[in-house]
Amino acid sequence: MDKVTRRSFVTTVGAASVVPAVALLSPAAQAAVPANAPTASQPAKSTYLFFNAEEVLFIEAACERLIPADEAGPGAIGAGVCNFLDRQLGGAWGAGERLYRSGPWAAGTPSQGYQLPFTPAELFHTALRAIHRDFEARGSAFHDLPGEAQDAYLKSLESGAHDLDGVPSAVFFEALLKATVEGYFSDPVYGGNRDMAAWRMIGFPGAYADYFEAVDRHGVKFEREPLSLAEDAQHHIHVHPDIPANL
Amino acid sequence: MTQRLKEVDAVVIGMGMVGSIVAKELAAAGLHVVGLERGQARFTVPEFQSPAIHDELRFSVRKALMQDSARETLTFRNQGSQTALPIRRLESFLPGTGLGGSMVHWNGQTYRFQASDFQMATHVRERYGRNFLDPSLAVQDWGVTYDDLEPHYDRFEYLLGTSGKAGNIRGRIQAGGDPHEAPRARDYPTPPQKELFQGALFRKAASNLGYHPFPQPSSNLSRPYTNPEGIKLNACVFCGFCERYACEHYAKSTPQTIILPVLLANPRFELRTGCQVQRINLDSVRKQATGVTYVDAAGREFEQPAALVITSAFALNNVRLLLLSGIGAPYDPETGQGVVGRNYSYQTTSSVAAFFDQDTVINPFMASGASGTVINDFAADNFDHGSLGFIGGAYVGAVNSHGRPIEYQPVPPGTAAWGKSWKQAVVKHYNHTVRLSIHGSSVSRRQNYLDLDPTYRDAWGQPLLRMTFDFPENDLKMSAHITAKAVEIGKAMGAREVAGYARKGPYTVTQYQSTHNTGGAVMGDNPHTSVVNRYLQSWDVPNVFVIGASAFPQNASWNPTGTLGSLTYWTIDALKDKYLKNPGRLVSA
Amino acid sequence: MNRPWCSRACLMIGMWLIASVPSARAANPAAPPCEACHGAHGEGMAAAHVPRLAGQSADYLQKQLDDYADGTRENPIMANFAKALSEQQRARFAARYASMSAPFIPEAASMDTVTLARGHQLAYQGDETKRVAACNACHGPDGMGIAYAAPYLAGQSAEYLASALNAFRQGTRKNDAGELMRSVAERLDDADVAAVAGYFASLTSASRQGSARPKR
Repeated sequence: MDKVTRRSFVTTVGAASVVPAVALLSPAAQAAVPANAPTASQPAKSTYLFFNAEEVLFIEAACERLIPADEAGPGAIGAGVCNFLDRQLGGAWGAGERLYRSGPWAAGTPSQGYQLPFTPAELFHTALRAIHRDFEARGSAFHDLPGEAQDAYLKSLESGAHDLDGVPSAVFFEALLKATVEGYFSDPVYGGNRDMAAWRMIGFPGAYADYFEAVDRHGVKFEREPLSLAEDAQHHIHVHPDIPANL
Repeated sequence: MTQRLKEVDAVVIGMGMVGSIVAKELAAAGLHVVGLERGQARFTVPEFQSPAIHDELRFSVRKALMQDSARETLTFRNQGSQTALPIRRLESFLPGTGLGGSMVHWNGQTYRFQASDFQMATHVRERYGRNFLDPSLAVQDWGVTYDDLEPHYDRFEYLLGTSGKAGNIRGRIQAGGDPHEAPRARDYPTPPQKELFQGALFRKAASNLGYHPFPQPSSNLSRPYTNPEGIKLNACVFCGFCERYACEHYAKSTPQTIILPVLLANPRFELRTGCQVQRINLDSVRKQATGVTYVDAAGREFEQPAALVITSAFALNNVRLLLLSGIGAPYDPETGQGVVGRNYSYQTTSSVAAFFDQDTVINPFMASGASGTVINDFAADNFDHGSLGFIGGAYVGAVNSHGRPIEYQPVPPGTAAWGKSWKQAVVKHYNHTVRLSIHGSSVSRRQNYLDLDPTYRDAWGQPLLRMTFDFPENDLKMSAHITAKAVEIGKAMGAREVAGYARKGPYTVTQYQSTHNTGGAVMGDNPHTSVVNRYLQSWDVPNVFVIGASAFPQNASWNPTGTLGSLTYWTIDALKDKYLKNPGRLVSA
Repeated sequence: MNRPWCSRACLMIGMWLIASVPSARAANPAAPPCEACHGAHGEGMAAAHVPRLAGQSADYLQKQLDDYADGTRENPIMANFAKALSEQQRARFAARYASMSAPFIPEAASMDTVTLARGHQLAYQGDETKRVAACNACHGPDGMGIAYAAPYLAGQSAEYLASALNAFRQGTRKNDAGELMRSVAERLDDADVAAVAGYFASLTSASRQGSARPKR
């Protein structure tokens, strides 16, 4: 019979290392890190290969509204979500990996799910282009709006109030939110969840997961630094966003 | 230009759980067997090793171990009056592919059905009267009884090494087990997995309410075990990457860990991977199969003649193959004629979230695929349905198998979907929530069926399978009733807030529910209402056996794998003891 | 094959220490008799199969002491030391060694590249023919250890690693929860044991030298 001990998990000490990258720094990114943010990570510096400069301005500002920085942890920008998104859309998934792409196409019922011909890459470029045009026509820019106005615009996208050159805005919003959450919580191998700050924030220990003995300690908080599947013994994370969606 | 190969004794289509077991038994009996698998071969080392396998984005979200919907998917509609459209990304159900099939990435929940499930039509009529059943439902008896299958359940569980606690051994109720279960000859091969904290909370609350909690039977083993094939499995370490993932520790019962080493060592068996079977070929009078036609990974077409054809390609693919091959009359819901595709059913699932205070720490990421504590007090016909207006039931339990953060962000109802308040709620509740599962039966409905789509095709140019399905009113009522009971248990667990999410219609393919697709090639004793007889032999073509959950006339409260395992051994016995000695119809029509 | 984990010299030191433990404790409760075998900085004594303890997981060290105390792990010398300590004292010793950082003693013998490669393969991939998973799956990247799961292997002496694996193989060591190590070790042969022990012993990466290793 395995022993069940009542002592708590030994408190852990340690800091993850930061893997720096060099590139653009948008105004949103500059504003992204509040003064009292707990982690040591710097604002995201990403080299964008998929998004053009205008798209970056919208994406960074929008993702930061979806998951903002606060006392608990970084926002989307600080976590590298936009970097993640850039790599995903520029890679196999963006190009339509695992998507059935044959026509004919019909709108279908909500039960029937996604029925557009767009790959994720096409969906994002099409929607972002239409959004940019809308703002240009009004003489403003999403990233210049105050936070509440940005939220109001995002909610209007979410409710399906816009047709974005054939992309229903609710479809675009859902894809953006889903990808933002994925970029926030996925293994840092993909370029998001920088420093594993999101995992640390909720207490998820990551990719090394032998809990045979730990599972006996009912109700005792499990305190262990999170570990990435791409982490080496020096705690460097080897980012590799091109892992295919098959085995 | 199709290349015709030398005839073999048997072809097995699909090398998942069923195909691996059948092929092993037939080859051991002396047959020359070819196993055709559309996917690739993969093994614990190197393909399933961690940490690479513990990649939530790749395996849970992008579904790397599952069927590639770009090449092959289904079309779907709720009602026959709608136009079915392709499921462009599989979500609601996730068929596997590759050597080992979906058993590589299953959760290991290993249940038996109860005796009344196999004679559901008779049982409901006897207990509740002829008029109790909604006439639009197509509930049928199976043509086999629990007693027929009991020794085969036993054999299957001992092959896997399933960890559990018996509740009824030869009629004697055992403390700590499920008092409702049908009698078994002996206890499980290994003891139950450790109880998690969430399981302990559930057990105490359920007991206090007068229910009968027991450990969920798990094929993620509690301790090392050597099975009757001489293959040894290890103890599961509760890594929390079970369903949708392969096990790196040789601790989950999969074809790779329970039988393939023996099968692959037998020179009478030949595995061919990357082979997409196009159809089963029939002779000129369409009464006998002559073999199968398949296309390999390089696009070359082959004809493999065989004396015996086993289709074990997963329930949905079994039905599709029969339709593509012209075996059996396709079902027409308008006329009620035909059999192939009728009685398609699913699983009616729902959940409850119990939100606790900060001092109750759950550590949800520590779990196995099947570690859990459940009750069967609301399953099957274990409670009186007389005044309730529905049949069927669900098991209820704390069986949450992971805390993977992309998939698991429990927040109370009313929480925003994004933004600061959402983020705060996720942080607040992630480690202080217990999710209860209500896993319920699925009755067949005359309008729910499978056939071939008239418009959309797969990468090989063949029509996709078309699924017409919505939840019967019966099952939605069942879900509402039992979800409410589960909410009460959540409250009794001491949660500060409890939210119940009963299953609501219409059925949508956009949200994961279960890969328990059942029916479509059902078994029975009447060829007008079934596709295969009680030995899963085609009524129309006696040298074709269709082994899968496609045989279920309707789905019971529990996960199908255990029952499919028992049917597999039951059919293997019929093949070895009856069919191979005297090929032909085993049951007269 | 069945080599004692402690050479005769250490056995004699150990016997003397057993006799002196009560008085040592009385004189200075903090004075550890451990140093005589495990070294002043917890660096171990490879030739005597005495493991390096410096920087090891506190949870793992405490479990070993608890297991020695109640006989779950059998060793007469360690049992006497462990029984003489209360649970809190064992926890303190464990924490003390966990916080140590000793220089790594260079391995005397060098391994041939084929054996090292075999060790690396077992560490990173495992072996399907033997049905053995990768060591690193539980022991962490490069065997650096994972708190509450598995001790570090990297930089441990090859002698001790081999003796531990052999003890699991033979069933003389049985304190692995879930028989997780026995399940692995029983499938290894002598060459595998030598390869994996030598491989991990050869890992003394820069981050492991000097400062206290973060507990992961």
